Amino acid sequence: MNSAAQTAAASPAADFKKWAGWVVGIGIWLLPLLWINLTTYLVLTVAGVTMGMLLFLTASGFTIILGLMDVINLAHGAFFAWGAYTGFTVLGLLNRLGWVETGTLGQSIGSVLICLLLALAVGWVLGVLLEWLVIRRTYGSHLKQILITMGAALVMAEIISICWGPNDEVVLTPAAFTGSVDLWNVVIEKFRLAAILVGGGVFLAMHYVLQRTKLGIIVRGGVENRDMVQALGHNIRRIFTYVFAAGAALAAMGGTMWSIYTREIRPDMGESNLIFALIVVVIGGMGSVTGCFLASLMVGLAFNYVAYSVPTLALGVNIMIMAVILLLRPSGLMGRS
Amino acid sequence: MPEFILSLHQVHTFIGQHHILQGVSLQVPEGQALVLLGRNGAGKSTTLRTVMGMTPARSGHIVLGERDISRARPFEIARAGIGFVPEDQAVLYTLTVEENFRLAMLHEDEGSYARQERVFALFPDLKKFWKSKAGVLSGGQKQMLAIGRTMVNDHRLLLIDEPSKGLAPILVDQLAEALNQIKSHTTIVLVEQNFHMASKVGGDYYILDDGVVAHQGRMEELAQDHQLKQKYLGIA
Amino acid sequence: MADHPLTPVQAQRAQEAAGRFTRPGLWLQIALLVLLALEPWFISSFRVMDVAAKVMIFAVLVASYDLLLGYTGIFSLAHAMFFGLGAYSLALIVHHAGAPAWHHLPLAALVAVGLAVLVSLVVAFFSLRLKALFFVVMTLALAQFADILSIQWHSLTRGEDGVSFKLPGWLDVGWSGGKLWGLTINGRLLSYFLVLAAAALLFVGLVRFVRSPAGRVLKSIRDNEQRATALGYQTFNYQILANVFGAVVASLCGVLYALWVRFVGPESVMSTAIMLNILLMLIIGGMGTLYGSIVGAAFILIAESWLADGLRAVKTFLPDLLILQRLADRWILYFGVLFILVVIFFPKGLVGTARDIAARRRARSSE
Repeated sequence: MNSAAQTAAASPAADFKKWAGWVVGIGIWLLPLLWINLTTYLVLTVAGVTMGMLLFLTASGFTIILGLMDVINLAHGAFFAWGAYTGFTVLGLLNRLGWVETGTLGQSIGSVLICLLLALAVGWVLGVLLEWLVIRRTYGSHLKQILITMGAALVMAEIISICWGPNDEVVLTPAAFTGSVDLWNVVIEKFRLAAILVGGGVFLAMHYVLQRTKLGIIVRGGVENRDMVQALGHNIRRIFTYVFAAGAALAAMGGTMWSIYTREIRPDMGESNLIFALIVVVIGGMGSVTGCFLASLMVGLAFNYVAYSVPTLALGVNIMIMAVILLLRPSGLMGRS
Repeated sequence: MPEFILSLHQVHTFIGQHHILQGVSLQVPEGQALVLLGRNGAGKSTTLRTVMGMTPARSGHIVLGERDISRARPFEIARAGIGFVPEDQAVLYTLTVEENFRLAMLHEDEGSYARQERVFALFPDLKKFWKSKAGVLSGGQKQMLAIGRTMVNDHRLLLIDEPSKGLAPILVDQLAEALNQIKSHTTIVLVEQNFHMASKVGGDYYILDDGVVAHQGRMEELAQDHQLKQKYLGIA
Repeated sequence: MADHPLTPVQAQRAQEAAGRFTRPGLWLQIALLVLLALEPWFISSFRVMDVAAKVMIFAVLVASYDLLLGYTGIFSLAHAMFFGLGAYSLALIVHHAGAPAWHHLPLAALVAVGLAVLVSLVVAFFSLRLKALFFVVMTLALAQFADILSIQWHSLTRGEDGVSFKLPGWLDVGWSGGKLWGLTINGRLLSYFLVLAAAALLFVGLVRFVRSPAGRVLKSIRDNEQRATALGYQTFNYQILANVFGAVVASLCGVLYALWVRFVGPESVMSTAIMLNILLMLIIGGMGTLYGSIVGAAFILIAESWLADGLRAVKTFLPDLLILQRLADRWILYFGVLFILVVIFFPKGLVGTARDIAARRRARSSE
C-alpha cells in the first residue's frame, strides 16, 4: 500500500512535466489553424491521420521488439519496402485478370485484401529468416545489433533492386479506391479512409491481443522482466521469434498500404520510413503500444501540417518535437524510466 | 535411504570472470523444507538460479528426480516441475494480480483452478486485489503473490529466495506459517538470512561459505550450536 | 633518484618515452608517409593518385569516427553529415563568391569548424545524456534531414546536380609549373601534397588526443561510465569534448575531400551510403585502434575501384543476362554481406585481430 501512496503523491515538478508533455502533444493538433484555413486543415488532418496509422504499422512492431528482447532492428524499414514491392507485384498480376483498374467494388476490395495477406506472409517469412540468421547472434549487444541490422537493411534493399530494378515504379490503385468523397467541402480520398480503417483495426486487434490473451500477458511480462517470465515456464526465445516475425509482417503490410496510398515505390523507401518509425518509437516510449499509437498520430499530423507550408522542414519539425518531448519526458510519452 | 527429489553434484558456476559456486553438492529429501544458510555472497541465491538454469552451471550435475537438468533452459526446468520465487518480492509490476497468476499457470485445467482456490484460502489478500496492478501491492502482498502464483502449478519443488527480506516481523511469522502449510504437500528449498524464520520452517540445513558447502545437518541441532552459528552466520 | 622511486604509471610512461624511436610502428608510419609522398613518381596514373588521396581523407574521417565509437562508445550516425557540412562549406563559398580566391580556403575551414562545433554541441546537449538508442535515432534523423536539405534547398546547393567549382592559383587543375625529377608539377599534384600534409597532421592530432589524459578518461568512460563518475570525472563534459572534436575533424575531412574532388553533391558527401562506408571501413580495420582506419579505408576504396571494373567486365562479356547484369550493378550488396559477416565472425577487424595475435605470441614467448 505504501508504494501506491508514493506513486500518487508525485512531486509537483514531475507533475508539471507530465502535463506539459500532454499539452504539447495536444497543442500541435490545433496550432496550424493559425495560418491554415479550416477546410484545408481538415483535409490535412485526414492525411495526417492516414500517415499516422500507416506509421503505426511499422513503429508498433519495432517498439515491441525493442521492449521485449532489447533488440534494435534497423532493418525494420526493409520489411516495409518488401511489403510495398509485394503489393506492387500482386496488383500488377491481378490487373491482368482485370481486377484492379477496371474491376468491380468486390474485386477492388479483394485485390487489396490479397495484397495485404501476401505482404503479411512475405513479412513473416523474412522476419523469421532474419531472426534465425542474424538477430540471434546479436543478443545483448546494441552495438552489434545496430551494425548488423544496418547491413541487413542495405542487403534487403539491394536485393529489391536486383529483383525489381533500381528505379521508381508506379503502383496501381484498385478502381473502387480511386477518387474521393466530399464531406462539407472537405475532399477525402477514398483510399485514405481505407487506410485509416486498416490502421485503426490493427491497433484495436493488437490492443486486444496484448491485453486479453495469454500471449499478450507473456509479451507484456517479458517487456518488463524477461528472465522472470522464462523462470515461470515460457520459452521466451520462441515467443520472440514469433513477435519478431509478426512485427515484420505488420511493417510489410504497412508498406503495401503505403505504396497504394502514395502510388509510387523505390527500393530505398524503407530508409525514410524507418526514420519516421524511430522518431515515433522515441516519442511514444519504448515498448509501449498505446504511446506508439499516439506518437504515430502526432508525427503524421505534424508532418502534413508543415509539409503543406514548408515542405523541406517537415522532417526537421518532427526532429524538434522529438527533442522537446525528450527534454520534458526523457523516456517518451508512455515509456517507463 | 531417503528419497531425494533434487541433488547437486560438484556444481561450478561462473558469473562473468567470478567463480561463484566452487563445487556445491547437496541433496534435497522429499517432503520437507530444506534451508540454505550462509553469509552474503556465499552463493545461496546463485545456487537457486543455477538450479533454475538462469545462471547455468559450467560443470557438475543437477538431477531432478530421475532427470538431469544441468543443461536445460529455465522454461524447461520450470515445466519439469520446479517453481521459483526470486528475491526482492519480484512480481511483474505492470501486470495485475490476475495476470501474474495467468502468466504463471502452465496448464489452465481444473486442478490448477482448484490449487488457485487453495492459494486464496492461504493468502486472502490476493483475491481482494485480484484486478489491481501488482506494483501497488505492499511488500508482504507482493511476496504472497510471488509465492502464490507458483503454487497454482502442480510443482514438486519450490525454490524460495529470501522471502522475509524487507518484511515486518509480524508478516514474517505469517509467512512462516504459510510455508509450513505449503511444505506439507510440496518440497521447499528456502534461502533465508532470518534465522528465526529458518528455524521455524526448516528441516535439514546446508551452510554455504565461499561457494562450497561448509556444514550440514538438522535445523534443531543448529539452533543449539552457538559456536557453529557464530562461525558461519555471525550470530550468537 | 633512489629517494623517489617511480610509481608504476610513471615507470611505464618513462619506458614508453624511451622506446619512442625504436618502436616498429613509428618506422612503419614514416615509411607509409614517404611511400605516399613519392607515389606520383612511381606510378604516373591519375587513378592511382585519386585512390591514394581518397584513402588518406577517408582514413582520417574513419579515425575521427573511431574516436567516437571505438574510444568513447558514442554511437553517432551523423558523422557523414559533418563530412558533408565541411565539403559544402568549401564548395558553396567558392561557388557563390564568384571567382575563386585564396582567402576562401581558410574561410571555408573556419565555417566548417564553426558549423561542426555548433551542430555537434546542440546534438550532444539534446541527446547525449539520454539512452544510447536516443542518440542513435537523433543523429540518424538529423543526418537524413541534412541530406534532404542538401537535395531540396536548390537555390543554395543546386540540389541533386551538385556543385562543381574551381580552386585559386596553383591549386587550379590548369596551373602548371615546370618539371621536377621528370614529373610535371601541376595543380593536381600540389593538391595531392596539400591533402597528404593535412591528412597526416589531422591523423597525428587524433593519435595525440587519444593518448592524452583526456583520451584516457574517455576510454575509462567507455569501459565503465559509473566508475569514471565515481572517480570524480565529469563524464558528460568529456563525452561532449569527444563528440565536438570528432565532428570538427570530420568537417575538415569534408573540406579536404571537396578540395580534392572539386565537386560536391548530396550523393557523394551527405548520403547514408557514405555513413555505411565509414562504418564498414571502421569495422574491417578494427574498432578502437585508430590505425585500423587506414587499413579499412584502403581496403574498401581499392576494392571499390577494382570491383566496379571487374563487374563492368562481366557486363560486357555477358550482355544478355539481365539478372546477372543487375547483380553486377549492385556491388554494394556484396559490401552489405561482407559487413554482416565481419560483424559476426570478425568483430575486432584486421588490426584488432592482428594485435590480439601479436599479444598472444608475446605472452607465449615470455612464458
